[in-house]
Amino acid sequence: MRTSVITPEERKKAFTSPKKAEVIQKQRLNVRYHVEDFDVSDRPRRFLEAFAAILKHSNYRMVLDHFIRMTGRCSRCAVACHVYQATGDEKDIPCYRSGLLLDVYRRHFTLGGMMRGRVSGHGYLTDEKIQEMADSFWNCTACRRCALECPLGLDHGLITHLGRYILSEIGIVPRALVVSTRAQLEGPFKNTSAIPVPALKDTLEFLEDEMLEEKSVKIKFPTDADGSDYVFFAAVSDYLMEAESLMGIAAVFTATGDKWTIGTGYFDGINYGLFYSDRVLEKVVKKVDTETRRLNGKNILIGECGHASRTAKQFIPAYCGGDKALPVLNILEYTHKAWKQGKIKLNPDVVTEKVAYHDPCNYARNRWIVNQPREVLKSFCRNYVEMTPTGEDNVCCGGGGGTVSIDEIRPYRTTVGGKLKADQIRKSGCEILVAPCANCKKQLRELVEDQGLNCRVVGFHDLIYKAIVFDDSLKVPKDDAGKEMK
Amino acid sequence: MSTDSLLEFARGPLFRLSFAVLVLGLIRILFLDLWGILKAYGKTSDKRMPWQLIRSRSFEWVLPVKRMFRNRHIYSIVSFLFHIGLIAVPIFLFAHINLWKQSVGISWPALPYSWALGLALTTIVLGVAMLISRMVLKPIHLLSKGQDYFWLVLLLIPFTTGFICANLNISAGLYQFLMLVHVLAGDLIFLLIPFSKIAHCVLTPLSQVVGTIGWKFPAGADEAISRITYSDAVEPKPEKG
Repeated sequence: MRTSVITPEERKKAFTSPKKAEVIQKQRLNVRYHVEDFDVSDRPRRFLEAFAAILKHSNYRMVLDHFIRMTGRCSRCAVACHVYQATGDEKDIPCYRSGLLLDVYRRHFTLGGMMRGRVSGHGYLTDEKIQEMADSFWNCTACRRCALECPLGLDHGLITHLGRYILSEIGIVPRALVVSTRAQLEGPFKNTSAIPVPALKDTLEFLEDEMLEEKSVKIKFPTDADGSDYVFFAAVSDYLMEAESLMGIAAVFTATGDKWTIGTGYFDGINYGLFYSDRVLEKVVKKVDTETRRLNGKNILIGECGHASRTAKQFIPAYCGGDKALPVLNILEYTHKAWKQGKIKLNPDVVTEKVAYHDPCNYARNRWIVNQPREVLKSFCRNYVEMTPTGEDNVCCGGGGGTVSIDEIRPYRTTVGGKLKADQIRKSGCEILVAPCANCKKQLRELVEDQGLNCRVVGFHDLIYKAIVFDDSLKVPKDDAGKEMK
Repeated sequence: MSTDSLLEFARGPLFRLSFAVLVLGLIRILFLDLWGILKAYGKTSDKRMPWQLIRSRSFEWVLPVKRMFRNRHIYSIVSFLFHIGLIAVPIFLFAHINLWKQSVGISWPALPYSWALGLALTTIVLGVAMLISRMVLKPIHLLSKGQDYFWLVLLLIPFTTGFICANLNISAGLYQFLMLVHVLAGDLIFLLIPFSKIAHCVLTPLSQVVGTIGWKFPAGADEAISRITYSDAVEPKPEKG
């Protein structure tokens, strides 16, 4: 799918920096996202030191060596990149972006590059190059669509990830992400939204009452239940913003009768480490594992959140026991399985609008969760439409890679990052857009608002909650329901 | 030294040397890549490998029929045919097979003359088209480095000279000279392949494995790296004084 390049007015809107000139001057960094003050002296040297340290304690050298031995610079990835498609700026071609870091690696960490550099006196890392990387790596949404389009099979998303990691080690990282991570790792409430446990419990109780009233069924959010089959981790912001998704999930468990629980010791699935630092990534993943083991849970269950699911699925085995690691699954997989086993009944007369499904990149890119939600949706949404391209080849919502949490770049996200997606949504004519990912939901709602689209963005379990039909045996008589609530 | 003796040298000892460099160089780079992969695999605790995905993604590009027609159709077809010509013509040309037969006594089936002729001409035309597109088309021009132009020109030399010598009625002197250029360019290509981006001819099948293991991060980076770099981004700033 191709899109037209943005107009000069849109470009101005997207690229105007929200930052004060004196901050840019003081930090010697002209990027659109806010950065906490950091040491600006001798930046190239510190960047190289961080790069060297990371290379020593990671697998990136193998990746970089492979890349520099064969990059073809064919520009084919340009057609896959939603950012390049919108800006038409050559510097947004994935291969160019990766080239920024590969050049540094070649010049400073390979024998040939070092010798050539010494002889010619050129190519030493400069402040300007760091500035370009700091801008470029955060223009990318790390959706990894370009990796599918590269004839040589190179994964530019991995290079973006590494670039951001090195930059974070010298203090260049969006403030929004650092502040949340700090709250999660060191704050008193141990989650990115700083929700205290009593507030969480209040919210859950309130939702239970709501569900009793609406469905006349006692649907519970069990907390700290020992020995549960599933310990549940939602993107914590869901407890503030996505009540219906959570209610749908609880309803599914009521219908299946499986034992699940939310741990009050740690209940946040969000892991911004995936977006900027392997060190953060590991710390957060370990917290999820520790909490599940504390509760003697058998499986780690992640809610409607793409990056949270991918980090748990991919890194629990890497950081927490390899073959002996706890199994990880996403709630969509669980619901799909329960539906296939006939444990969930869905009323096909409830959702009559035109419904489309948006694939979160972190679910679909590696063909993990593609058909499961579609099968369920098609079974009860009469008017289901598909966007193209879709599945593993889907188009990013424009807020991937952590950029959705950076509020100050919203104009960029909704004019550049989300342009291709907006065109796709418009073309599909959908009235309800199902996006089972906390990041995608936020970005798509902002996109709908800023681009004037005519659709409503909901979670997958929002629709399940609407359509689920319970056995009469589970129903509480209306009078009793009133008493229960009191 | 006469052109004749130079030609003998170029297709005798020099060819043997460059061919040996090509084979040994490619083995070396393949070994280095595989060694990197194995070392990385050893470092991570996550030993699962999604072989089915790796296989299907690798084959999609080794034989890119499925991918070719999805995006950038013209470029895809041009590039695909160019690669076929580059590989098939030198290996299956009757004259080349004959040389192998005379020197080491091995041979294999040759392309029919008309096929070889058509394929060589196609390769030349497409090569020139790719060269022009690198110079003219905006996105690819910005990405291109010296090496990218150099390789296209270098690859076109033996094709053009070989085509002229085989098909055009030219003087013996010119024939000898062009043949010398043809063989020398071929030797140079062989010598340079293992040290340039053309190494993708053996490394491409490993890309999916590299990507998969690349995302398997070894544990313990935090402790190891925080000792070396100090990052405000991860830890709160220490109080001054």
